[in-house]
Amino acid sequence: MTRQPVGRSIAHVGLALTIAFGVLAGGAGYWQVIRSQELSTAPDNPAVVAAARQILRGRIVDRNGKVLASNERDENGEPYRVYSSKIVSPVVGYASRLYGSAGIERSFGAELTGLSDPDPIRNLLKKFQTDPYDPQSLTLSLSFELQRAAVRGLGDDRGAVVMLDPRTGEVLVLASTPTFDASAIANPVTSKKAFEAAADDRAKPLLPRATQGRYVPGSVFKIVTAVAALGSGAIEPTTTFPGQQQAERDGLVVEGFRIREHGGVPVRRFDLAHATEVSSNIFFALAGLETGGENLAEYAARMGFGAPLDFDLPTAVSQITNARGSEPGGFIDRVELANAAYGQAETFVTPLQMALVAATVANDGELMRPHLVTALTGKDGTRSLAPRSLRQVISKADADAITTAMVRAVEGELGRQFTPGAKVPGVETAGKSGTAELGGRGEPHSWFIGFAPADDPQIAIAVLVERGGRGGERAAPLAGSLLEAYFDTVAP
Amino acid sequence: MTLANATPLPRILGNIRPRPRWREARLIALVGAAIVVGSISLELAQRSDEPGVLRGLSPAEPFHLLVYLGALVVAHLAQVVTGRRTDQVLLPAVGLLGGISLLLMERLPQNLVVQHFGDSDFGLADVQLIWLVMSIVLATTLSIVVRSDRWLRLYKYTWAAAGVALLLLTFVLGTEINGQRLTLSFGPISGQPSELLKVILVVFLAGYLSENRPLLVEESTRIGPIAIPPLPYLAPMVAMWAIALGIVVVQRDLGAALLFFAVFLLLLYTATARLSYVFLGLILFLVGAWVMYQIVPHVRTRVDIWIDPFASPQGAGYQVVQSLYAFARGGLIGTGLGGGLPTVGGGQPGGIPEVHTDFPLAALGEELGLVGITAILGIYLVVIERGLRIGAAAGDEFRSLLSAGLALVIGVQAFIIAAGNLKLIPLTGITLPFISYGGSSLLVNGIVVGLLLALSDRGVEPPPPPRPRSRLGRLAQRAGIA
Repeated sequence: MTRQPVGRSIAHVGLALTIAFGVLAGGAGYWQVIRSQELSTAPDNPAVVAAARQILRGRIVDRNGKVLASNERDENGEPYRVYSSKIVSPVVGYASRLYGSAGIERSFGAELTGLSDPDPIRNLLKKFQTDPYDPQSLTLSLSFELQRAAVRGLGDDRGAVVMLDPRTGEVLVLASTPTFDASAIANPVTSKKAFEAAADDRAKPLLPRATQGRYVPGSVFKIVTAVAALGSGAIEPTTTFPGQQQAERDGLVVEGFRIREHGGVPVRRFDLAHATEVSSNIFFALAGLETGGENLAEYAARMGFGAPLDFDLPTAVSQITNARGSEPGGFIDRVELANAAYGQAETFVTPLQMALVAATVANDGELMRPHLVTALTGKDGTRSLAPRSLRQVISKADADAITTAMVRAVEGELGRQFTPGAKVPGVETAGKSGTAELGGRGEPHSWFIGFAPADDPQIAIAVLVERGGRGGERAAPLAGSLLEAYFDTVAP
Repeated sequence: MTLANATPLPRILGNIRPRPRWREARLIALVGAAIVVGSISLELAQRSDEPGVLRGLSPAEPFHLLVYLGALVVAHLAQVVTGRRTDQVLLPAVGLLGGISLLLMERLPQNLVVQHFGDSDFGLADVQLIWLVMSIVLATTLSIVVRSDRWLRLYKYTWAAAGVALLLLTFVLGTEINGQRLTLSFGPISGQPSELLKVILVVFLAGYLSENRPLLVEESTRIGPIAIPPLPYLAPMVAMWAIALGIVVVQRDLGAALLFFAVFLLLLYTATARLSYVFLGLILFLVGAWVMYQIVPHVRTRVDIWIDPFASPQGAGYQVVQSLYAFARGGLIGTGLGGGLPTVGGGQPGGIPEVHTDFPLAALGEELGLVGITAILGIYLVVIERGLRIGAAAGDEFRSLLSAGLALVIGVQAFIIAAGNLKLIPLTGITLPFISYGGSSLLVNGIVVGLLLALSDRGVEPPPPPRPRSRLGRLAQRAGIA
């Protein structure tokens, strides 16, 4: 009666179950190895929450050792955070029992509580130690003095200043105004009131504008267009456009739409350096059309556009277009591309992103990873985090050509009129101002990006003042004074 | 009780001639050593914050350890004394899983379960130890006493009827706990019938499939290129499918439904070696799953949590998210027994709710790491392999299918809950065999092991000669198919 012994199909079933259990082991491996680090340091992981209540977080100090964050204990003996000043709140953030954490306190929460070691081998061996928690103290590249100068310079305006060393990516200033009182949020007694007041404030002090504010860039974006145009070979530094002289007078017609020049640009043909000096919209619209949407998007992406920046804090995504169109690069049509090329279409950028554009040009076309944390100090001593290059965006020759143009924009006879006060006395300064028209009757955003000294750049800067007026009126003089402060205080 | 009725006792035990079982003895010694080491490690971890730690090495709860290891040794000796030639790997493998369970229950907060007997209170580990020992006693008794499978073979429809009755009883009289109607109480005794039901299901299926195997293998109805079982024999598959869906709707017990249907399909394949039946079953499963997702809110919640638990980490997804956090904290080598976070316990905020019944694997994942989890999965594979091997070596088809089915019940159940813990499939509330806390689960799995051991004995009564009992079977024989 037995046709075929069941032994064979039993073996098949056994094989199937073996595979199924192999899949289980794979699943365990996925959570326990691949996702382990990320999940076990998640801010709402009970391990992190419990540690936050009991463990003394590591201190946070600036580049000169000035303490920015330290601890005190409440009447129950449980620690809470104290911050030295409101001016660093948008960078350092807060760690509160009620409201979680923000800023460096959040992104380096695992290291500050000692739950995770940046060294994977030591992280693994940690489990064999009797006291596995080794809270790390953080050293930031931030300069408290310069940060204070920047916040004071912004005054009652809303805005942001970013200053970084283009050679290393070390961020010295990451100022946003208005700021908030992080100590009051961290203090268990005042926590609720302070947080709710800050959250309800219409000036949005909890928004770190330097990293997460997105603004129309206006003419500072022309440097991005220059990078893409030179990098892709669409233009040379000496390229001029035959139709430009006519267009300066009558406007440039793109697909029936007429782009007009702003006042103050002489009616003649000129090259990249002259166009940058007088901030010609027509020249950069033509250069952008010549470069094409695809190249513009590609070179912008090389400097960080289109994705969150590789940085120590979360950043908003900068964009050159909404990318809803079908033209190369996502533009809707050539009109949008031409407008974007001088920073006036659906282009939105963060101040940090624009500082990176300046830094890329300053550092011979090589973009360094921006960072704030330079060293971690634990029980076993200090570990420094080395600067890291992200990529060579354009060649040194192209970067030099743009530098020349940016020097003219600050020091040229005509340029000076657009960027009064940006020049650092005795130091060759490169820069570009921007006036971001917002439509309607309000004042435009005031922008400036630049670096100095032009022949050996040590510091790059981006300044944004919301509704601050023309770039030359507000942002350029502020940038000039902050660059000067850098050479007076930080640089030896 | 059925046992005693089936055959008188003296015949059951047969001639007693002691026979050494060295392989089992060595394996039990190894398992014992592993559990002792685990226990010492647990004690060290729990004492690590006291000054002067290394006063000496002692196990945690030495009395528990002694009782449990004693039970394993007695189970071994009982088989030696009665001279049984049963499988020698099954008991040590299951013993190791039980030992891990005991250590885990000692490690969790004891107030998760408190039982009062007279004046004394018993905590989680105490109660679990009692169930573990009873389970071992049950398994050993069955392995020694059962010398014939006739009481299972001959009354398969009676068993099926008893199973259906049990199911209906739970439908009607069951107590609802956490929105699931799984528990049946008679006075002080309460239990989860679905655990017992899975054994009854396997007994019935083994009987039914072995009897009708020739027909199922030889005949088929063709719809285009797809061969489906002869139509009269589709009835059981559809019935099984309907019962599973009924369990989902009425009891909201996804786990049991999934387990029953999966075991049914695997046994159907074992009996017929036809993949087309399995595909047909899978199609039915997908249809059923889709319908359930549309009409049963409980099912939809489970599936939505499965798709993205992190969407509501403090709400519906809390349990699963906490489980994944525990796995992640464990990493490659784990924190060591007792070294995980104190909040792992179910009671405190921040822990995994129902960790001792639904998420023992997550707690073990944190403390034993990927290495430990892989080892535990490996032990389950050993148990499955022994069961399937017993099935492959059995004398006739009924025994083959019965043994394989019993092994599958354990294997598939372990897979379903482990996969749920690891977010590979939606979470269901069934137990991890031999490890989860719970009397019903441990006792029934004890029965499964006992039956497997008995079926592996080369000394048991030989199977009766094949004789088709059903009308259809006789018809088939007459038609010259057999």
